[in-house]
Amino acid sequence: MTPEQIVTELKALLDDGKVLDDPENLDHYGRDWTKMHAPKPVAVVFPRSTEQVQALVRFANEHRVALVPSGGRTGLSAGAVATNGEVVVAFDYMNQVLDFSPSDRTVHCQAGVITEQLQQFAEDNDLHYPVDFASAGSSQLGGNLSTNAGGIKVIRYGMSRDWVAGLTVVTGKGDVLHLNRDLEKNNTGYDLRHLFIGAEGTLGFITEATMKLTRQPDNLTVLVLGLNDLTNTMDVLQTFQKQIDLTAYEFFSHEAMQHVQTHGSVQAPFETEAPYYALLEFEAVSDQVMDDAMTLFEQCMENGWVMDGVISQSETQAHNLWQLRERISESIAPRTPYKNDISVIVSKVPEFLREIDDVVTHHYPDFEIIWFGHIGDGNLHLNILKPEDMSKDDFFGKCQQVNKWVFEIVERYGGSVSAEHGVGLIKKDYLTYTRPPEEIAYLRGIKQVFDPNGIMNPGKVFDLD
Amino acid sequence: MKVLVAVKRVIDYNVKVRVKPDNTGVDLANVKMAMNPFCEIAVEEAVRLKEKGIASEIVVVSIGPKASQEQIRTALALGADRGIHVETDEEVQSLEAAKLLKGVVEKEEPKMVIMGKQSIDTDNNQTGQMLAALMGWGQGTFASEVAVDGEKVNVTREVDGGLMTVGLKLPAVVTTDLRLNEPRYASLPNIMKAKKKPLESVAPADLGVEVAPRLSTLKVEAPKQREAGVKVEDVAELVDKLKNEAKVI
Ligand SMILES: Cc1cc2nc3c(=O)[nH]c(=O)nc-3n(C[C@H](O)[C@H](O)[C@H](O)COP(=O)(O)OP(=O)(O)OC[C@H]3O[C@@H](n4cnc5c(N)ncnc54)[C@H](O)[C@@H]3O)c2cc1C
Ligand SMILES: Cc1cc2nc3c(=O)[nH]c(=O)nc-3n(C[C@H](O)[C@H](O)[C@H](O)COP(=O)(O)OP(=O)(O)OC[C@H]3O[C@@H](n4cnc5c(N)ncnc54)[C@H](O)[C@@H]3O)c2cc1C
Repeated sequence: MTPEQIVTELKALLDDGKVLDDPENLDHYGRDWTKMHAPKPVAVVFPRSTEQVQALVRFANEHRVALVPSGGRTGLSAGAVATNGEVVVAFDYMNQVLDFSPSDRTVHCQAGVITEQLQQFAEDNDLHYPVDFASAGSSQLGGNLSTNAGGIKVIRYGMSRDWVAGLTVVTGKGDVLHLNRDLEKNNTGYDLRHLFIGAEGTLGFITEATMKLTRQPDNLTVLVLGLNDLTNTMDVLQTFQKQIDLTAYEFFSHEAMQHVQTHGSVQAPFETEAPYYALLEFEAVSDQVMDDAMTLFEQCMENGWVMDGVISQSETQAHNLWQLRERISESIAPRTPYKNDISVIVSKVPEFLREIDDVVTHHYPDFEIIWFGHIGDGNLHLNILKPEDMSKDDFFGKCQQVNKWVFEIVERYGGSVSAEHGVGLIKKDYLTYTRPPEEIAYLRGIKQVFDPNGIMNPGKVFDLD
Repeated sequence: MKVLVAVKRVIDYNVKVRVKPDNTGVDLANVKMAMNPFCEIAVEEAVRLKEKGIASEIVVVSIGPKASQEQIRTALALGADRGIHVETDEEVQSLEAAKLLKGVVEKEEPKMVIMGKQSIDTDNNQTGQMLAALMGWGQGTFASEVAVDGEKVNVTREVDGGLMTVGLKLPAVVTTDLRLNEPRYASLPNIMKAKKKPLESVAPADLGVEVAPRLSTLKVEAPKQREAGVKVEDVAELVDKLKNEAKVI
């Protein structure tokens, strides 16, 4: 089919005005946050229902047209990128909360519901949706589930996967499946729900999801501690976890904090300058918990792990202390950072981090390295900043080399080349560092079952041969 | 010189308040409380005066229920030297607060009283002015800069359309505005040290004041909910609605 024919047919399938093919929209909807690939889709379509998605998939199979699911396009792995004449299927008009059951504490949403909209809906009903990260104002539930997004509260609440009671999907073959029927307990063979979560749109579309909600957290209180050394991140974590259930444990380097401070008017937590900082959050539900936190802090001071620290005295202060961590991404953005999102088991973090740091600084002493991340769950964000006087091409070329070294270390430590951002196009070449060939062969087999004609997000995560 | 700082325990600035169903006030049950933001600025200013060697002692006072001691402890952690808690479970309105503060001032004889320009719960903006009047002292309100010069203090005030600087003879009352300074965080080591700083508790009667509200609240209402908008299908419908429903064109 010619692009013109595809567009005409699509217009017959969907409501008027829900098919776009002007250059501006093709460019806009053809890419995600990464902006490294030139977008080149033939059309963008906006279905309004599961039935319309099904009709699109049937059409795509019949005419062998490739489809790219598109959510909020905040993805960091080029999963929602269309470079090759695909039809982009955007969920912007499937943004309704369809049902809410207070007694089950579940909410049934269309896939295009914005993450923040779900959080707000929960809050309006005195409940809580705990998955949270800096892009929550734009990302969609369908995108969150397709990348199994993590974020800043994983240490306590787990990943997006842990909050799914049921899914409605349209498989690459065009079947509509209602997976898990919103049941808490349902041991009836393979749980297909979990195959679609994290599949990055390669098996089919997620069109609706029933999400679990929980009680609202009580009196969230933030500590920011200045650490003497990297290994102290683990000492402090273990000390606090013995007595307090943390809702977050983040870390960042002094360099990261300096960028945040120069970028915006964010106040330093204290005057003492520490090489690394840890941010802890917990529910201060009683005076006892507060007293425990104080005692634990004293222990950390006495052991020489911690140089100084502050505790939020109000929600405003808690919010402001979080800015030290949450604003890192945006404050280094002007320096064209090269980002890696890697993980190892928690206990190996300090050794792992030091080894990578040594390799990069040894080979590229001019590169500025910014470390931060969800260290409480073994997830580190390695950001390399482009030296001002180096060209973009030269820089990214050198970073490819860095990648190889970094991922060899990841492999040696039994870690992951993508902790929470998915694989998409950007990590595809490195998948084997985390998943051996025989495992990838099973992934291909699964893909073949759900999407025999290979119309769903082709070329993402792995190639077919 | 000795500086007295007044701090108030109020609903945390970040909390979305809910009006009680019977419209008698806002729901305080299980709501996070914190130091009034303008009082935080007052404490910070006093601590800076002490760091500059101008203030020799900072006494912090709070009027309210037992739990107000948390806010006094916070101020002590920020650098105040000792605390006075005027304990009462009654509702304290501006005039009573000013009279109670006058009692404390007469006992402590500070050279300067620094307090917030208003508290974010009742937004009255009058306690500082009332205290100055009761004491017969000068007042520098809405301060965005405080410069002590011997027995005088110059207070730069934020007024409509500009700044005004007043020179006051000490002792005087200064009330803080938002841009006076950026308060620091209380550090954990200082919070621990603050636990050992002296905190004295007194009753309103000890200061010769009877706390009894003079004003009664008739009704508290939440702001009007904004109505959801509607989507129109096309320009023609929009024009039609503007013409015939909104009658603006
Ligand atoms: C500033 C910033 C901070 C971030 N922080 C975090 C973080 O802390 N943790 C984290 O995990 N991620 C983070 N991310 C990455 C990203 O925001 C998340 O992965 C998010 O879940 C992506 O959602 P989205 O709707 O934008 O998905 P998109 O980018 O639109 O798509 C992501 C993938 O899902 C597929 N997809 C989208 N919708 C559907 C659907 N309905 N059915 C099937 N497949 C679909 C796409 O094809 C693509 O492969 C961050 C991103 C930014 C820009
Ligand atoms: C009194 C009683 C109370 C029970 N209460 C509960 C309960 O509260 N909750 C609950 O969930 N269940 C309960 N059960 C069921 C049962 O005990 C559990 O399902 C238990 O997990 C089965 O373990 P098993 O080792 O006995 O498995 P088996 O009965 O030996 O096998 C169960 C299945 O697993 C397969 N299997 C066993 N080992 C392996 C292996 N290594 N690799 C691959 N497949 C394997 C078998 O082929 C079989 O299909 C109860 C059973 C009894 C008798």
